[in-house]
Amino acid sequence: MRQALRRLGGQAVGTALALLTAYPANRLSGQDSQFSVRGLGVPGRWESVRARTTGGAFGPFDPRSSVADVSLADALQLTATAVEATTYRRAEIGGSRDDLRSSRFPFMSLAGPLSRRFVVGGGFATYLDRTYSIVTRDSQMLRGAYAPYTDRVGSDGAVADLRVAAAARLGSWIAIGAGAHVLSGSSRQTAQRIYDDTTFLGTTQTAVVRYDGFGISGSVALDPVRSVRIVGYARSDNRLRARLGDTETDRVDLPTTLGAALRWSPSPSARVAGTVAWRSWSDAGGFNTTSWSAGAEVGAGPTPFRLGVRGGQLPFGPGTAAPTEFGVTLGTGKSFSGNRALVDLGLERLVRKGGGLTETAWTVLVGLTIRP
Amino acid sequence: MRRVALAAALTVLTAATACTEDVTAPGHCPDFCPSGSITGVDTVLQTVVQRDSAFRGFVRPHEASALLAADLRDTIDSRAIFLTLPIGDSLVVESGTGARGQIVGVDSLKLTVTITRRDTSAHNLTLVYYRLPLDLDSTKTFADLAGAWTTADSLRSLNVDDLLAQPTHSALGDSVYVDTLSNRVTVIAKLDSAMAPYVVADSGKAAFGVKVVADSRASIALGSVEAGLGPLLTWFAEADSVAKDTVPRSSTVGVRFDSFVFDLLSPSVDTTLDSTLAVGGMPVARSIMRFALPRLIRDSVQISRATLVLVTARPPEGVPADSFTLSAHGVLADFSAKSPLSPDPSRVATTRVHIGIARADTVRIEMADILRSWQIDTLAPTTLALRQVPEGTEFPEIRFEPSTNLALAPALHVTYVRRFPFGKP
Repeated sequence: MRQALRRLGGQAVGTALALLTAYPANRLSGQDSQFSVRGLGVPGRWESVRARTTGGAFGPFDPRSSVADVSLADALQLTATAVEATTYRRAEIGGSRDDLRSSRFPFMSLAGPLSRRFVVGGGFATYLDRTYSIVTRDSQMLRGAYAPYTDRVGSDGAVADLRVAAAARLGSWIAIGAGAHVLSGSSRQTAQRIYDDTTFLGTTQTAVVRYDGFGISGSVALDPVRSVRIVGYARSDNRLRARLGDTETDRVDLPTTLGAALRWSPSPSARVAGTVAWRSWSDAGGFNTTSWSAGAEVGAGPTPFRLGVRGGQLPFGPGTAAPTEFGVTLGTGKSFSGNRALVDLGLERLVRKGGGLTETAWTVLVGLTIRP
Repeated sequence: MRRVALAAALTVLTAATACTEDVTAPGHCPDFCPSGSITGVDTVLQTVVQRDSAFRGFVRPHEASALLAADLRDTIDSRAIFLTLPIGDSLVVESGTGARGQIVGVDSLKLTVTITRRDTSAHNLTLVYYRLPLDLDSTKTFADLAGAWTTADSLRSLNVDDLLAQPTHSALGDSVYVDTLSNRVTVIAKLDSAMAPYVVADSGKAAFGVKVVADSRASIALGSVEAGLGPLLTWFAEADSVAKDTVPRSSTVGVRFDSFVFDLLSPSVDTTLDSTLAVGGMPVARSIMRFALPRLIRDSVQISRATLVLVTARPPEGVPADSFTLSAHGVLADFSAKSPLSPDPSRVATTRVHIGIARADTVRIEMADILRSWQIDTLAPTTLALRQVPEGTEFPEIRFEPSTNLALAPALHVTYVRRFPFGKP
């Protein structure tokens, strides 16, 4: 009976992974930002709501997140997770202020054990967000007079990270994980000019730019003592290729990611963690970034309380210094149906600064986890 | 209570996270704008028109939708001519039985014509009616009918302005009606039996000519059969009756043939074609223009505005009311003079040519839609027919400098937006 269930679970995981891999990546943007206008975009978060509401500190330990593949080793039953995020942003620059908002589904994962020591998983997450819409006013000398016009340049889309990963617990104190990542996505780009003088017809150009790339990742988790876990992870992505139809329009190298995390569980109902990660975004023409986070989760019951802080840099921005980012998060969760369904809720406050632009955002996070 | 609280919390959460999107913000360039920008270009393509030529004979007078009568002194003298249908030798005298009686005499006639265009600045507009021979056809010229146009041969004249000045718009059996919607003027002239006698051998056919005069240059258009506004002739006849000697009966007939004949009095309205691009006139001329568009324009850019610039080589002659619409009309296939015109309205661009335009003045036609349609349909011939709209309803003819005159050749003033560099970070 157990073997039959195990076989059934494996088939379900395989089917789900195939479906996830084929999922169109058009609406996966993690969080829009004015900092995504220049460069490749804003990196997404590979975290479930649980991990994200601890500032991301629990990401490398969370089997529902895809930060470190080794965390899958703790997924002892088939688990599916999805995240919905609604962001209310305010961008301030040069005395002007704009309020923006967007809703996204930035993350989904599926994991399940093939055996007692071996777990596979997969899903998608936002790798780079490419959503923005910029409006500018100017004029041009046409036929002897200045013709004022409004330009609107926009991009709607993202590069998604489609992951297939596996983790194995080699012993009570060590586990390893590895994954393969297909970077795929598209952005629908629009360039529109409308002249105030209607004798000049407005023009609208659109194009769908497709992106592709590939990456591999590996990680290891060590439990030197029962209450402490240390995770080290690395990831290397080869390049991002942009194609317009059959024509390659751009190709940039993608960064290598190195990260480490420490979790301490002083009691069954309290956990704290810290994470630091470095990414070589200079390979892609940006700034190398170092990001950190610290967080805690209190309560082992059905309604835990989580909080965290995070900081670091963004890879793309004007000037000679990388834009900075600082965020505070808090959240909770609620389990239903004998722990088979989990709803995680979170709230994130984020401040990004760089090149004279200050961007603040409130993000409402809703996560749904199913354990059939 | 807990359920109510949970429902309220879920409602608030749903409202806060409902799908919503507003990502548009003013750009702060160059720091927070995309690396690529929209580039507008304004340029004049001087040699874009090639292999142009003019052709005449598209509409002949008897095919026109108007009968042109004009007295443009020293320029054009034109007169409307028409032949009415016969009424036969008998008329119905008893409607109940349909019994017919022989026509034994005519008391009077009423001749109705409709003025579809007139110059209101020409005062004392007068129609002069002539009786013409019954052998009218499309081969008749002004000279062929020269003998019929003498003053002694005129039946009578009717001053339209005088009638319009009357409170009832009528006098002595003549009357005029003005259609307040179309501003057409219907003129009804009374003729007596001496002016238009009933000839049994002709079955009541009659042919008339109409000349127009005024205090100044006069030019009018009368409705034709082709426009559904042809002249009408009403006979008021005496028919033989069984019960009585005669009874009065009337019968209205339309026209079998209508046209106009004209005399070109000035060499400035010479209809001989040369290398210039002639449009309009009579017989109607069109000019065919072939465009050799650069690949950039044809394939890559988005057109904001395109203006065809034509330089006048010979201005049109006429009165202000003779101003006409000039159309640049795309063709379905380039068969030179016989090119069929495209029925697609997006391949038609028009402008108004006003009488008074001088030589070397420019005429501009906005043709962005045509260029855009050529971009979409790359198989469409990039050829335009320059024509008057509607053709054959105006005498004036305009001629433009051809492409062989390099300094004054037709040019295309184009404002366009270059292809945006999509796919660049």
